Amino acid sequence: MSAFVEYIPGNSIFHRLNPITKILWTFSVMIVCFLTENPLAVLSVFIVNLVIAATGNIIRQMYPILRGLLVFCTILSLCQVFFIKEGTVVLYALPWFRLGPVTDRGIRLCVLISLRMLSTASTVPILLMTTPMSDIITAMTEKLRLPYKYSLMLTIALKFIPSFIDEMNQVMQAQMSRGYNSDTKNPFRKFLIIIPLAIPLLITSIQKSRLLAISMEVRGFGSGKRSCYKDCSMGNADYIAIIIMASFVLAGIAAALIT
Amino acid sequence: MILAENVCYTYRNGNNVLKNISFEIKKGEFIAIIGSNGSGKTTLLKHFNGLLKPTGGKMLVNGMDTRKTKTSRLAKYVGFLFQNPDHQIFCSTVYDEIAFGLKNISTRREDIRQRVKKAAEKLGLESLLDSNPLTLSKGQRQRVAFASILALETDIIVLDEPTKGQDYIESIKIMDTVRELNEQGKTIIMVTHDMELAALYAKRIIVLRNGTIHLDGRTESVMASPEILASSGLKPPQIYMLSYMFRKYGLFWNVHTVEDMFRQLLAHLEGSKNVSIG
Ligand SMILES: Nc1ncnc2c1ncn2[C@@H]1O[C@H](COP(=O)(O)OP(=O)(O)O)[C@@H](O)[C@H]1O
Ligand SMILES: [Mg+2]
Repeated sequence: MSAFVEYIPGNSIFHRLNPITKILWTFSVMIVCFLTENPLAVLSVFIVNLVIAATGNIIRQMYPILRGLLVFCTILSLCQVFFIKEGTVVLYALPWFRLGPVTDRGIRLCVLISLRMLSTASTVPILLMTTPMSDIITAMTEKLRLPYKYSLMLTIALKFIPSFIDEMNQVMQAQMSRGYNSDTKNPFRKFLIIIPLAIPLLITSIQKSRLLAISMEVRGFGSGKRSCYKDCSMGNADYIAIIIMASFVLAGIAAALIT
Repeated sequence: MILAENVCYTYRNGNNVLKNISFEIKKGEFIAIIGSNGSGKTTLLKHFNGLLKPTGGKMLVNGMDTRKTKTSRLAKYVGFLFQNPDHQIFCSTVYDEIAFGLKNISTRREDIRQRVKKAAEKLGLESLLDSNPLTLSKGQRQRVAFASILALETDIIVLDEPTKGQDYIESIKIMDTVRELNEQGKTIIMVTHDMELAALYAKRIIVLRNGTIHLDGRTESVMASPEILASSGLKPPQIYMLSYMFRKYGLFWNVHTVEDMFRQLLAHLEGSKNVSIG
């Protein structure tokens, strides 16, 4: 399915970085964005994210996500901006009646919050689009010592979402072919209406997970110590990236301490 | 009954699957749609009851434009059997499962009882009407799904690989039921990977290749062109291959069954005891 965040093969610098470096990146973006109060600083973080997405050739896939985030931020800002009373009033929502005052501090804060949201929330899709899930898992188990079972659970759950949606479509189509009609005005029927969809979905999901469990078991899952064929060591680019990120984080901390 | 005019279909992810498909299907036809995996067979089938609407061209079913008609309404005219019965089974008894579609198209209560029984009998499910479908075998579940379509008593029946995962006897049983329905005047359109079954049962064959119609004609003539079929990644049943090879040697036999082949061969051998073939 196309609506989901999935790995998009590529060979950009960012694609080739170690998954750990990229995970550290998402955390440093978060730390820096929440340490600084300066909208311009957060904006530059966001621009860097966009540049990374552009070099990774995933701008097109990022577009719907960014648009969604933007809509969300706008709504959030509109809800919030009228409740901030500090600062000087710069405009009114209804100027004729001098109703709904908006202050300069209010605007600044909403812009800051929106930018923080955009910057931090866009890192995760960029991470997932430039890194195969299996690499993230391997890196997490090998480097961060996360128990393999948990990391695998995570992968399977993530992989399951698109196939679940496909399955849902199949079920929907099969029932529609039997005259099933999902739009009804009757509220009682509205509740009953999901049963023909939910039950087959549940059953096929259980079948699938059982099959998966068996197929993993026959291939020796859980039989003892694991080995790993992928090389997940860090390269020079990783160290450079980590040093850069660390300096930004430290600068952010320093700036926060001074003010 | 069904008229496709330059039907094109592109999935939302930009996957252009059907390209300028045109054909007409008349009442009472028995059609097999064949083609290699991913050639667009299922996508085409889903156009017959409006599950997918053409992104270009037009599809008319019983004179109704599928783009303007809901699938739940087309369900009265087109029965559609999906590959996986587990995508539709949700009732706790076989009876309820078969009756589900009938309730949807608001059939009268006394009719429901009768039509469920009739459909169950056709597929040998009478003794299982009170069982839980989930406890049945895959083959039986497939038949329950089929019965739930049959009960709708639609004029057109669309089948997506109805014999997939069934053993030989089960396949033949299903196909015999399908043939019986066709003899009663129902229009049958089925997708199959089994060239033997297609040759044995269908009267007309449509070959899809990369979303275009590669061949469309009577079963005998389509199967008698192995070279063209090969370019679609298909191979006709052996009896057609044999017949084709004989034809290449100037023996103009056009036979489609083992019995016919045997009889003609025998006659030929008796007629020319001293001539060696080839
Ligand atoms: N929901 C979908 N979204 C995008 N592409 C699809 C979808 N379903 C099928 N396809 C693609 O359409 C092509 C034809 O599929 P399908 O009609 O199922 O072929 P067939 O039934 O002949 O094997 C395949 O390449 C498949 O990947
Ligand atoms: Mg198919």
